[in-house]
Amino acid sequence: MSTDTPTEDITSRPPGRAARERIYRYLLFACASASIFVTIGIVALLAKDALDFFGLVDPVAFFTGTEFLLSRDQFGVLPLVSGTLLVTVIAAAIALPVGVAAAVYLSEYASDRARSILKPSLEILAGIPTVVYGIFALVYVTPFLRVFGLPLNTFNVLSASLMVGIMIIPMVSSLSEDAMSAVPDSLREGAYGLGATKYEVSTGVVIPAALSGIFSSFILALSRAIGETMIVAVAMGSRSRLIDFANPLQNLWQGNQPMTAAMVQINSADNVSGPGFKSMFAIGLTLFVITFLMNLASNRIAARYREEYS
Amino acid sequence: MATQDGLDWAGESGQVSELRGSLFKYACLGAVSFALLSVLVLLLYVAADALRPFSADPGWHLVYFVTLVLPALGLAGSYVRSEKPAGEVAVATVGIPIVGLLLAAAVAVVLSIGLLSVAELFAMTIATAVAVGVIVVHARNRPRAAFERLVVLVGAPTVALLGLPPLEVVWLINTALAELGTAARIPLRVISLRELVLSAPVLPLGWMMLVGSVTVPVAGALGVVVARRRERARDAVTFVAGAAAFAAVGAFVGPALGVDPTVWILVATFAVAPVAVYVEGVVRREDGVAGLAFPVVLVGGVLAGAVLVEQFGFAPPEPWLDWQFLTSVHSRTPADAGFYPPIVGSVMMMIVVALAAFPVGVGAAIYLEEYAPDGGLAGRFVTLVEINIGNLAGVPSVVYGLLGLALFIRFLDMPSGSVIVGGLAIALLILPIVIISAQEAIRAVPDSHRQASYGMGATRWQTIRQVVLPQAMPGILTGTILAVGRAIGETAPLLMIGAASSVRLAPSGFFDQLPAMPRQIFAWSTNLEPEIRHGVLAAGVVTLLVVLLVMNGTAIIIRNKFQREA
Repeated sequence: MSTDTPTEDITSRPPGRAARERIYRYLLFACASASIFVTIGIVALLAKDALDFFGLVDPVAFFTGTEFLLSRDQFGVLPLVSGTLLVTVIAAAIALPVGVAAAVYLSEYASDRARSILKPSLEILAGIPTVVYGIFALVYVTPFLRVFGLPLNTFNVLSASLMVGIMIIPMVSSLSEDAMSAVPDSLREGAYGLGATKYEVSTGVVIPAALSGIFSSFILALSRAIGETMIVAVAMGSRSRLIDFANPLQNLWQGNQPMTAAMVQINSADNVSGPGFKSMFAIGLTLFVITFLMNLASNRIAARYREEYS
Repeated sequence: MATQDGLDWAGESGQVSELRGSLFKYACLGAVSFALLSVLVLLLYVAADALRPFSADPGWHLVYFVTLVLPALGLAGSYVRSEKPAGEVAVATVGIPIVGLLLAAAVAVVLSIGLLSVAELFAMTIATAVAVGVIVVHARNRPRAAFERLVVLVGAPTVALLGLPPLEVVWLINTALAELGTAARIPLRVISLRELVLSAPVLPLGWMMLVGSVTVPVAGALGVVVARRRERARDAVTFVAGAAAFAAVGAFVGPALGVDPTVWILVATFAVAPVAVYVEGVVRREDGVAGLAFPVVLVGGVLAGAVLVEQFGFAPPEPWLDWQFLTSVHSRTPADAGFYPPIVGSVMMMIVVALAAFPVGVGAAIYLEEYAPDGGLAGRFVTLVEINIGNLAGVPSVVYGLLGLALFIRFLDMPSGSVIVGGLAIALLILPIVIISAQEAIRAVPDSHRQASYGMGATRWQTIRQVVLPQAMPGILTGTILAVGRAIGETAPLLMIGAASSVRLAPSGFFDQLPAMPRQIFAWSTNLEPEIRHGVLAAGVVTLLVVLLVMNGTAIIIRNKFQREA
């Protein structure tokens, strides 16, 4: 071997290269930490104002009060929570069955060509801004439903919840379809080998095997419905009401106000100050905690199912 | 294994119900169709309200159907049946000028609202060119001095563009010193090349600066494509010279034809030059030349239709969504209502969002995918970050609005409802989405490429910059464009940070009041007048959806092109 090759050229470290590597590493680490700061920022800033609020208003009165009226300094959160619940339940009643059925079709029945058209189309639905869905509900869906003789107010729960439901269908269908596609083909082939029909394979093998993924998509979609703001702000009016159990259908015909819409209303009212303004942060923190916990649960369930099949 | 007697799982053939299976199948198909059709019908309604096609004479529809729709459909059908490349050429020759004209319009708006003057653009171009030149020369002469290169890489653009220290920093420090009551000020600073050019006693004429700062860089980028295709560097120079000459001609010929020279130069730069490059490439390859007929048929059909409609006196439709709507400001009377300030505001907000979310998001994704250690305290931190990002992606947008209100307006004291606050709040909102999509793109780069790079002695950063990022970039861009598209439609954060409705002036700076498209739509939705509700509101919604469609379409084209190459 010749010894006069410039080996030091190959193995040498140009001055500063190690320092540069380290600088880039720290810079990128700072970027990654940004997300932690966002979470801390949300919690800290919201909690600060929320604590101020609870200094002015008794927390017990906030969490158990049955009336939310800014003008009279009534800050009971229960009517807002009941409005959110109402929207979420109706939206879920539409989106969960439709979403899962759509996922079954895409994953089990659709040809490759049909899937390559249907899947992006559903993704486009998810990309439509929610304010547009709100306008659909207000301007087109409510008059349409009145044609069938439903006694709807201009601002009503039913059409807004319908649009929330349609909005979250793509989320349910796309995540559920991912879970169903991840079910190994050997399971399907085993079932076919035992003489099962396509229907039996879909309902008896694929859906149970993908159940944790489907549940995780449910939770995510529900958390999205709970946090949905613009549809309800546009199409559901601005009067909060407790659910009236004596007259269940009446709840659908009239307007209501969930937590998110209340926050928008408080912020857009000019003359609100003091506890009214601060109450927005208390509601926001409540909303953040609920959705954050739901997302955490959803991701946990999804992570467990990923481990099963890979 | 011996068969046991319990064969009840297979059933008898009579028990297998075909009816149940097909019912189930059609129920599932019905679910997909319900989701798609319900929204499609609503979209058609809103489009009909915005465009009012039925306000035209039937004859008008008939004329355009015969002159425009029939030939175009026939041609498209023949492309589908016979020549696939011709169809692609047809789409590209129609799409490139449209995108080019949109870009030209964007630059024209930037110049007209005074966000950036021609002279500033020119000064910035010169300063950038000098900075890039210094970096290239340094890298060529001293290729091994890594730390020095880092200094040059950061220093040259800073000195050329911002000065040392930058004007804003000097101003900030001086105000801070004044607040503290000390008399000390920063007396001197190295003036930047950009400011030097701006303060030069004699500047070239406006059109010369425009050609120099817009046409030459764009043509240069196109020229690189030309040179690579023909494998001759001189052709690129010829192309740039030709494009610049063609643009410059506009300064003399334009006024004679009644065309504003600025418009001529911008259209020549962004629409004519790219089309010329593309058409030349198609003709040279002789692949799908038939597709070039498509734009000719479209333009011919529009012209012929216009002549015939004029001849017969058919009334055209009177849409709410027209040129007047797009270019005028808000008004109380529905007929005069316009959407111009919200469009400009949304575009400026988009710039803030992209500039804020893209670097941080991609940086975070690189760290998580390439550097993140597996074990130990740091490993646990990385797991925490990943879980946290997944959760942040699902936090309601209204909460991000509240964060923006508390952080930027109440804590950092930025102006309420300004472009920068709206942009930053929404950038925080899309940050998790950008990170997740960038992570997926980076993960898709095969490990063997990284190991080959390490095997050649490259450091980790060199591997990332030279191997990983170039391959992951299309995926990262697709994800970012989709996320920014989502950002345009976000309304709740804008309401929370106090964006005003019905702003009458387009913002000309990033600290001005932000009029945004969705905010204006929300304001209109509270108006009960039928002309607003079924006219102006619908026109606004359609404009917003078209912008989204263009952005998502771009993202999908990038993704498809990338997938085909991979």
